[in-house]
Amino acid sequence: MPNLPLDLTNLALIVTLIIILLLYLREYNKRKKLESEGDKFLQGIKEKGWENLHQSIKKSQEILGEAELEGIKVVAGSEVELSKLENEYSKRLSQSLETSQRNIDKAQEKLMQFMTDLQKSSAQFEEASKVSGQERINQLFDNIENRLSDFLVQTAQKTSSSIELELKSSRQLIDTYKNEQLKLIDENIIAMMEQTLSLVLGKKLSLSDQLDLIYEALEKAKVEKFIV
Amino acid sequence: MTEKVMDQEILNIILKDTYSLTSLKHRLRILKSNLLKTFFGGENNQTLSFTAQDLNWLQFLPEGFYRKFNKDNVYQILTGLEKGISGLPTLTIYLTFEPDDTTLSRIGSVARKTFNSPFLILDIKLDPNLIAGAALVWKGVYRDYSLRAKVENRKLEIIGEFKKFLR
Repeated sequence: MPNLPLDLTNLALIVTLIIILLLYLREYNKRKKLESEGDKFLQGIKEKGWENLHQSIKKSQEILGEAELEGIKVVAGSEVELSKLENEYSKRLSQSLETSQRNIDKAQEKLMQFMTDLQKSSAQFEEASKVSGQERINQLFDNIENRLSDFLVQTAQKTSSSIELELKSSRQLIDTYKNEQLKLIDENIIAMMEQTLSLVLGKKLSLSDQLDLIYEALEKAKVEKFIV
Repeated sequence: MTEKVMDQEILNIILKDTYSLTSLKHRLRILKSNLLKTFFGGENNQTLSFTAQDLNWLQFLPEGFYRKFNKDNVYQILTGLEKGISGLPTLTIYLTFEPDDTTLSRIGSVARKTFNSPFLILDIKLDPNLIAGAALVWKGVYRDYSLRAKVENRKLEIIGEFKKFLR
């Protein structure tokens, strides 16, 4: 008897393959089943969606119809109210216009009054300004006059004292010059006199007179105790 | 007698009629010349020529004057005399003219008498600017007693008078 190629390894492999095949088949069936259930569920949802859509459209049309009716009603009511409002508005507008006109008139009157007052005030102010300005100008002129007078007096005094000083200085200068000149003249007179005396007496003075003068000089020196 | 006293005696004899410093120096020179000629002969008389006045003075010196000199002391005495000049009281006197011997003698004798100084010697100098009179210098101090000094002293008065005259 031939030996079958059945050992433990092969046998385990075969068993494993069979188990895997079985598991695969089982999973395939489960998936198939789930897909069919999903399709059924989707179909149900689709149908319900369509139904809801139809109902919604129907209700929308109803609402639109009602809304159109309500709109027509509102428009009709609005026109009546609008005419009422227009009347009311024109009435109030005319009242407001009248009030405004009165206010404007009053304001105009007040403005005129204000302008008149302003004119009066301005005239008074102008008059006061004129008086004040005149007073200031007069005061200014008085001040200028006084200052000018003082300045002129001071200038006159300064000029006078300056001239006096100059005159004094000039007089002193002249006096000094005069004195110097006189001194010079005096010196010249003496020099001239000495020279004349020297010339004249040198020739004319006798020996006896010369000796007398020399003796006189010696006597004077003795009296003065010049020679001790 | 000491040499100094003898020198002084000789100098006093010379000074008796010698009044000026110039004249004293001159007389000492001629005396020296004369004595050297007398004692040593010949050559010295060639250096000085004596005037009549010089000879007269030498001749009329006192009798005992020349006896004081001899060959041995002549140089010594003459040197002592020359030195003695510097010790004499000397009055410098400025005059306006050059006095002759007579005038000089008169001035000198009056000066000695006035100042009571018998051996006073005058150093005569000339200054014509003094106009007249004299100016003196004693021990380096100058004092003007001339007519110029009088004019200077009375300058203001003179000018005043002069101005009066001008008016």
